[in-house]
Amino acid sequence: MGISDMKEAKTKEKSRRIITLSVNKEEREVPVHDNETLLEVLRTKLHLTGTKEGCGTGECGSCTVLLDGQPVLACLMLAIEAQGKKITTIEGIAINGQLSPVQQAFIDHGAVQCGFCTPGMVLSATALLANNTSPTRPEIQKALEGNLCRCTGYNKIVEAIESVRNKA
Amino acid sequence: MKDTLIGKSVPRIDGPAKVTGEAKYTVDIQIPGMLCAKILRSPLPHAKILSIDTSKALKIPGVKAVITGRDAWDVRHGFVETPRYPADQYVLANDRVRYVGEEVAAVAAVDEATAMRAINAIDVTYEELPAVFEPFEAMQPEAPEIHPVEIPDLIGDFKNIGGQCSRSFGDLDAAFAKAYLVRKDRFDAQLRTHCYLEPQATVAHYDQGGTLHVWTSSMGGFRKRWHLSRTLKMPANRIQVHKAWVGGAFGGKIDLFSHEFCTSLLSIKTGSPVRYVAEREEIFSYYRHSQPLIIDLETAVDKDGLILGQKVRCYDNGGAYRGSSVVMVFLSWGFVVLPYRIPALDYIGYAVYTNNPVRSPQRGHGAPKIRYAVESQLDMIAEELGLDPITIRLRNARKPGEVLPNGDSIKNAGLLECIQQAADKTDFVNKYAKNRSLQMASGNIKRGIGMGVSAYFTGSLIYPNNSAAIIKFNDDGTAHLLTGATDIGQGAETVLAQIAAHELGLQMEDIQVIAADTGTTPVDIGSWISGLTMVTGNAVKKAAEDARRQLIAAGSKLLQAAPEELVLQNKRIFIKGTDTSVPFDKAIALHIEEQQGDPIVGKGSRRGHEKAEIGPSLKNARGAWSDSYAFDAQVAEVEVDIRTGQMKVINALTAHDCGFAINPILVEGQIDGQVSMAVGQAMAEEVIMNKGVTLNPSLLDYKLPTAHEMVESGHLEITTESYEPDQAFITKEVGEGLVSGILVAICNAVANATGEWPKELPIKITIAEEDWR
Ligand code: FES
Ligand code: FES
Repeated sequence: MGISDMKEAKTKEKSRRIITLSVNKEEREVPVHDNETLLEVLRTKLHLTGTKEGCGTGECGSCTVLLDGQPVLACLMLAIEAQGKKITTIEGIAINGQLSPVQQAFIDHGAVQCGFCTPGMVLSATALLANNTSPTRPEIQKALEGNLCRCTGYNKIVEAIESVRNKA
Repeated sequence: MKDTLIGKSVPRIDGPAKVTGEAKYTVDIQIPGMLCAKILRSPLPHAKILSIDTSKALKIPGVKAVITGRDAWDVRHGFVETPRYPADQYVLANDRVRYVGEEVAAVAAVDEATAMRAINAIDVTYEELPAVFEPFEAMQPEAPEIHPVEIPDLIGDFKNIGGQCSRSFGDLDAAFAKAYLVRKDRFDAQLRTHCYLEPQATVAHYDQGGTLHVWTSSMGGFRKRWHLSRTLKMPANRIQVHKAWVGGAFGGKIDLFSHEFCTSLLSIKTGSPVRYVAEREEIFSYYRHSQPLIIDLETAVDKDGLILGQKVRCYDNGGAYRGSSVVMVFLSWGFVVLPYRIPALDYIGYAVYTNNPVRSPQRGHGAPKIRYAVESQLDMIAEELGLDPITIRLRNARKPGEVLPNGDSIKNAGLLECIQQAADKTDFVNKYAKNRSLQMASGNIKRGIGMGVSAYFTGSLIYPNNSAAIIKFNDDGTAHLLTGATDIGQGAETVLAQIAAHELGLQMEDIQVIAADTGTTPVDIGSWISGLTMVTGNAVKKAAEDARRQLIAAGSKLLQAAPEELVLQNKRIFIKGTDTSVPFDKAIALHIEEQQGDPIVGKGSRRGHEKAEIGPSLKNARGAWSDSYAFDAQVAEVEVDIRTGQMKVINALTAHDCGFAINPILVEGQIDGQVSMAVGQAMAEEVIMNKGVTLNPSLLDYKLPTAHEMVESGHLEITTESYEPDQAFITKEVGEGLVSGILVAICNAVANATGEWPKELPIKITIAEEDWR
């Protein structure tokens, strides 16, 4: 059975309800099916397309969002499971329209190329630095192990994160 | 005097949009009423289509349209469409399928689930045909015929030849006769793929006025429009390919894909916007990857390691349609003759049809595979002759001003400096000798160092062949740059804005870039034959010079000074060496007043190759290829555990001649990305197929490098050109050529550690029998 078949099987079972999600500090009411992933709901119902889908099967990390500050893969999580938790997407990272230190460091250090992995990378890095203000290089690599990047070779991403140690 | 923007690592202008999630990629385009498209694919590697019944699918509520080959006017397309190599692939299969995954039908429905139901409701009756998957089998007379061979004057009587490139020169027999040493080796480079993070995706919207709007994840909108216009039989002005940011491409998003045609046709049929996004599993299993290549390489050298002659045969497992395989076998020729002097050569490359998915370019297109063979063998030769890898390379490397067999000059090539400086910086010769002496010593962890040399071309003539640019001034002295360039992550928009701003005495923020829209921006060569910075960059430079000339003419009147005495700086026109100036807005106002309302619009253009009439011949490699070539020497150090077979790249150094860097941090980013890609390709990556079926269709099973495989990547820039006022500049390619040298540097480093040269990729370490216990 292919992924599309599984998706079809999932959506056959129709149970719809309205749930409240706390996204980027706002309460959002949204109609969902029980089997809809958080990623689908964020992207298509809330139009928060900054969260990307690179694979849909938990392999690339481009759908990373924060749930109560911890990175999770939105493609592997049902929207209904996220109720009652604080969801932070890439759209909620800038502070009052100012780029966060991590975001600014990504730009300054050339850590962005195509940018498709960038939202997930920024969120993983933000979560890491919130728990550990001066991570070592191996700790940074560990924190990013679930976020694939094909463009940068990771070097400038790691350098960007190192530059905001003790600052973010 | 002025703070120049050329050569400065200015931050990319798309940075804020990309770090905040604001940047819209094709997958993010949402249009109200948008339908979902899905594609039905062949489950068989080779079969006749006896019938297709779509009636059940059409009855499903929510299904808006179903299309098959019958809706596609019998039209074919190809990566190459020439009299010798006419287009050979239908946009939707006609009466036959030739690989697992070939597109047979497409549907548009209100949602994904309904579209999938419709796909499953289409009945196709196939009659299975024998299939063949390997090039040597496919070439045999008794092999099943995938396509009849219709190319005249082929060398050899083989079946299933989609294309052939052959070229000989010099007296090869004499070279081999007088050789001190001849080596003959076979190298086998695997099937590997791009792994762009953004999936293949297209949104199409046919509007009421009869214009087709297309957003598609691609490497060049003008190339896509050309293909769509031919396959949809629509005039170019009725197809507008819009800009969307592109989530990586690496060569894999330039051909026309069936889904782009289908999404467009479904929108035309339904009058609704239609969206198609490929699943990652579909991309791995059915989309275009690079080409597996088998290389037979015979090299004759004298006792000092000087190459006297080479005989090369390349066998490209080219897939079920030509795709780019006929270009690949031409390029493999090119990357044999580019870095080293080859006095006599006998080259034949075969593009062989097999019942595998179609092939496309992948970063380096040809170079990584043929350089892997040549550079590996050169180290073997050096070892047999008792030379070190640096000496043999310096002896054979081309010098500035040398002319290639096709007549192109390599101009100010910095290859010798690249080799020497990379060797010096890494203490190469000493480390190499030491590692070698430790191969047989006790201990399981072995260290190795290796070098790889490569070169690459900078743009060529292939449609759309040229770039143009427009700069239009606004009343307040700021400007818009209109360019068709597609930023696929390399930073095209940033570099072009730098050039425009530099020429016009503006800051980066004074230039607004409007890009990659076939309806509003001028034609562009695209981000796929490594010529963008030079071709589009020079077009932008000329457009800026044109605008500057007009601005200065007005300024000269206002300042009562000769045009030659004026310079532009900070949105003002100054008399050189004085504080006397007028702001741009005044000069623009005067220009409007005196020139019948003309607000100053600058125009510039450049061809892919300035002087050549046509591009190189894919048949015999004659004719001009490029007017600028880049060179590099790269070094890798590895650690190999000979007990477990585990390998690790410790560090990498890239010495490269890119002419000069307009934006060094962007150049470094290209290098680091290529080092990482090469690490994956050397050590792990492979699309594993069995009888046309992909066995590892996921990013994890494909073993894409993760942050743990990050390699310390050093950069050494050899500057050979410069940016001069009022002259076209020469930059050299950096976006794809640098994947090759480092790939084979890793192979050679593994050989330096273990004493065994990898003859197959990805590298597998032979583990001694007793170590299994
Ligand atoms: S989309 Fe969720 S991990 Fe790839
Ligand atoms: S920047 Fe392109 S995948 Fe990371």
